[in-house]
Amino acid sequence: MTPYTGPWTSAEAAHLLRRCTFGASFQDIQNAVGAGMLGAVNQLFLASSIDEPLAYDVGEQIVPLGQTWVSAVYPTNTSANQQTEGARMKSLAAWLAKNLNQESLSLTEKMLFFWQNHFGVSTSGDARAMYQYLQLLRQHALGNVKQLVKDVTIDPCMLLFLNGNTNTVFSPNENYGRELLELFTVGKGAQLAAGDYSTFTEQDVAAAAKICTGYIVQGVRSDTQTQVSSQFTPVLHDTSTKTLSYHFANQTISAAGALEYANYIDVVFNQADTALYICRKLYRYFVNHDITSWVEQNIIADMAQTFVANNFEISPVLTELFTSAHFFDISVRGAIIRSPLETLCAMLNTSNTTANFDLQSTYQIYLSMYGLADQMGQGYAAPPSVAGWTSYYQAPAFYRLWINSTYIKKRFDVANLLTSNFYNVNGNVFKIKVVDFLNGLSAPASAPQVIDDLCLVLFPKDIPAADKLAIKSILTNSLPDFEWTLQYNEYLADPTNPVFYNPVELRMQAVLNVMFKMPQFHVC
Amino acid sequence: MKRRSFLKNGALASLSLPFVQNGFSMQAIAKQLFDVPKSAEDKVLILIRMNGGNDGLNMVFPRDQYAELVVQRSNILVPENQILPLTTEVGLHPKMTGMQTMFNEGKLSVIQNVGYPEPNRSHFRSMDIWTTGALDINQTSGWLGRYFDSAYPNFPDAYPNVDYPDPFAISMGSEVSTTCQGLMGNFSHAVSDPFNATNLLLTSVTNDGTYYGGQIEYISTLINQTNEYGQQISSAAAAGNSLSNLYDPLNPLAVQLKYIAQMISGGLKTKVYILNVNGFDTHDAQVDQNDVKEGVHANLLKRISDAVRAFQNDLQLLGLEQRVAGLTFSEFGRQIASNGSMGTDHGDAAPLLMFGSCISNGIIGANPQIPNQVNNQAGLPMNIDFRDIYASILKDWFEVDQQVIQSLFEQNITYYDLLQGCTNSVSEKPIIAQQKPLVFPNPSLGQHQLKFMSGQEYLEVFLIDQNGKVLQKSFEGQLNNGQQILSLEIHTLKAGAYYYLLKSGSRQELVSFQKL
Repeated sequence: MTPYTGPWTSAEAAHLLRRCTFGASFQDIQNAVGAGMLGAVNQLFLASSIDEPLAYDVGEQIVPLGQTWVSAVYPTNTSANQQTEGARMKSLAAWLAKNLNQESLSLTEKMLFFWQNHFGVSTSGDARAMYQYLQLLRQHALGNVKQLVKDVTIDPCMLLFLNGNTNTVFSPNENYGRELLELFTVGKGAQLAAGDYSTFTEQDVAAAAKICTGYIVQGVRSDTQTQVSSQFTPVLHDTSTKTLSYHFANQTISAAGALEYANYIDVVFNQADTALYICRKLYRYFVNHDITSWVEQNIIADMAQTFVANNFEISPVLTELFTSAHFFDISVRGAIIRSPLETLCAMLNTSNTTANFDLQSTYQIYLSMYGLADQMGQGYAAPPSVAGWTSYYQAPAFYRLWINSTYIKKRFDVANLLTSNFYNVNGNVFKIKVVDFLNGLSAPASAPQVIDDLCLVLFPKDIPAADKLAIKSILTNSLPDFEWTLQYNEYLADPTNPVFYNPVELRMQAVLNVMFKMPQFHVC
Repeated sequence: MKRRSFLKNGALASLSLPFVQNGFSMQAIAKQLFDVPKSAEDKVLILIRMNGGNDGLNMVFPRDQYAELVVQRSNILVPENQILPLTTEVGLHPKMTGMQTMFNEGKLSVIQNVGYPEPNRSHFRSMDIWTTGALDINQTSGWLGRYFDSAYPNFPDAYPNVDYPDPFAISMGSEVSTTCQGLMGNFSHAVSDPFNATNLLLTSVTNDGTYYGGQIEYISTLINQTNEYGQQISSAAAAGNSLSNLYDPLNPLAVQLKYIAQMISGGLKTKVYILNVNGFDTHDAQVDQNDVKEGVHANLLKRISDAVRAFQNDLQLLGLEQRVAGLTFSEFGRQIASNGSMGTDHGDAAPLLMFGSCISNGIIGANPQIPNQVNNQAGLPMNIDFRDIYASILKDWFEVDQQVIQSLFEQNITYYDLLQGCTNSVSEKPIIAQQKPLVFPNPSLGQHQLKFMSGQEYLEVFLIDQNGKVLQKSFEGQLNNGQQILSLEIHTLKAGAYYYLLKSGSRQELVSFQKL
């Protein structure tokens, strides 16, 4: 893959951060410019840590509010057990939104979401199990994908979701075995014959099911076990020798007990299809939906080669992609329609707006943010099917599936909500910190520069000068530019005085409200 | 395994998200307070916003104080014999021949010295005050937004609908109007061209053949499909008519007013139209140095005068005159004295112009008093509070109940007789509103104030729900004569309709409010 050797300006830095994070501020972009392309890309791989989700809802009946529930038991009483699960799921949902909003400038959250979409798991009936599963994905998000697939195979949440926990030698269940091949590794190709999908056959599905037998899940909503766990039970395992199809050169997988699944996954990853399939998904996620034959031969092939050469570590692949000429090519800028979570976070993260109130209010606000994204079509960790969200795979529309008249209205509703002064929880108003946003720009007193900077942060490509003038007239109330300068300087001289602060805030809210409803904001 | 949404889990069913989930749930209460009277339903209000601070003294002249005007602003003052007379005391700028004609036909009012207490000469802050109709720094809803909220609950979720298919307000141009900002949405719909009203976009989008171009074109198409009002507006404009030949196609305000005439005559039920005229911030070169009756300000005044004259003529020909009234306003007037750059700087009070065939009186309010010496930075003091003008329009034109009107504004309202010229009940004096108890703001989210007059009494205030059940006693105590203001906290209440009962030995009064 040809490396990028072009200019490294704020446009390129903004493109990198826009694709690799859930939203970067003006200052973040400037810092990335200063770091140079390699520096900026490398910084994205720095790991970030997060805190555990906290109980905040009165449905929680084991741990005190304000403490984490991830290793707590459940109540014995059925109704209390149910209420506690509800409270923990609310806490988890809020926590997921909070992590996106409060991310450090790192690839971690985007890659975590990629894997969460890739494996397509939704709730398992025990919030602790979902938490542990997501922590597993986070652990390997920028690491070894083969190890990730192995660990996911025996993760309690996945075992519950795809029926691995009832897949036994006495009654094999093909659910996981099929999706492991079709969705997680080699992918599905054209149908060559009945039950033959170019990359695997029904024989492989049956074999995979048998290979994966024997793992059971324990401790779901248990009143004694503090963790949900999976356990290999030899008597439930199929100890026959499994023969794979001709696509796998009819290799055999002999009985190997608890680690047999891992041996099998080694074989699956040796298939060239696996690296190609995963790299295509990454390309669609980070670059563009359209995999032309040129892209397939020049980009995907190189990505896959790097992937295999690095024993399936993902970071070298991503580094190569994000430092490539193709990634920065003007033809792929602004090619992706932002997903609901990306849209919501772009509204908040670009101004470093976070909710930092008391526990109750903060979690309630984040739960609402989770809900808003859900209503726009994307509830985190609750994809519509195990294949993930259709926008990431369904030809020919791909990302256009995020946009219909209902979803557009929701996006506009969210824009209205976050640029108003009316959304509050317990009296704590949550809104975009528009004045902070303004203050962080290069020249807040200059109306034209404010618009230029906002366009850099919010839009993927430059817009016509006439459009910028139209937006500027909203900022200035159609007054000459110097009036804005006067107003802003008055505010600067007495920043806590609402008489000077409020008008500035109202104008910025009006500008952002309009920009969030422009089509250019919804692409990245 | 079937996908289960986090939020569809039974235990989460009680989750209530902000408005996007349940909408704005406002139970019907004391419905007669909020019903819009039939006779008011077809009334239209035009608001013309003069952006930048209009030099009122160069628009409306106190003819009885020309000598003082010479002392204050001789470098920009038009010659005395060029002022267009309205009365012996009051005249208009020479370029406003159209509006002079309207005055003589009884279709123009001049409301003098309009402002608000403690004037603020910052464009942004002052315009916010004029559009919110409030001095409270934290008020961000528009005065018409609050009126529309009271009359049309469940906005925007329940609209448009079969009974209300049209936007309540239209802002001519590409930006919605802050005057119409309600709590949950903006009641105005931006329209640049009613014949192409399906286009919601601020600017046009071109597909340059890149992936980006294709995506933004696709999104633009979908955005326009969400425009539920577009078809209504375009149909009305197409069905409508314009009969006056007085419109100058090069006058942008005339073009917009003509569109409005077409929309109204085409049957659009929109109640308010807002227009903007920019360029009034005339710190320098307000007048032409070779001819002071020409220049930047003169051109703007002519634009407004000519356009409104054509519009009024059109309404007459269309038979719509009794349905339409209009008002001009600006964020402030300018200083009495001019400056050395043949311009004027930010001032205070200024006149408003009201037009329509239903106006009650020609000149409202006495002339301003022009001092015979220049006082540094002096502006004209306020005589009439602009919020009272808004309130009077709501009463006269939209026939809003006075108790509701009072709940929309923070001051005790003084009513002026503005638009009673078409009805039989013409009152001669301003009516002072009954000093009933009122809750402000209303509706409210977390905290509001109960204002009322008290005598020497031991008063209890009860909070009652819409079924008449007493929820709590919010206040009790011995009071003296005078106005009382209680701050009361309601954020734990469920959304809905409530009452305060004020009970003492000498009275029992109910005042209603809504909690969002």
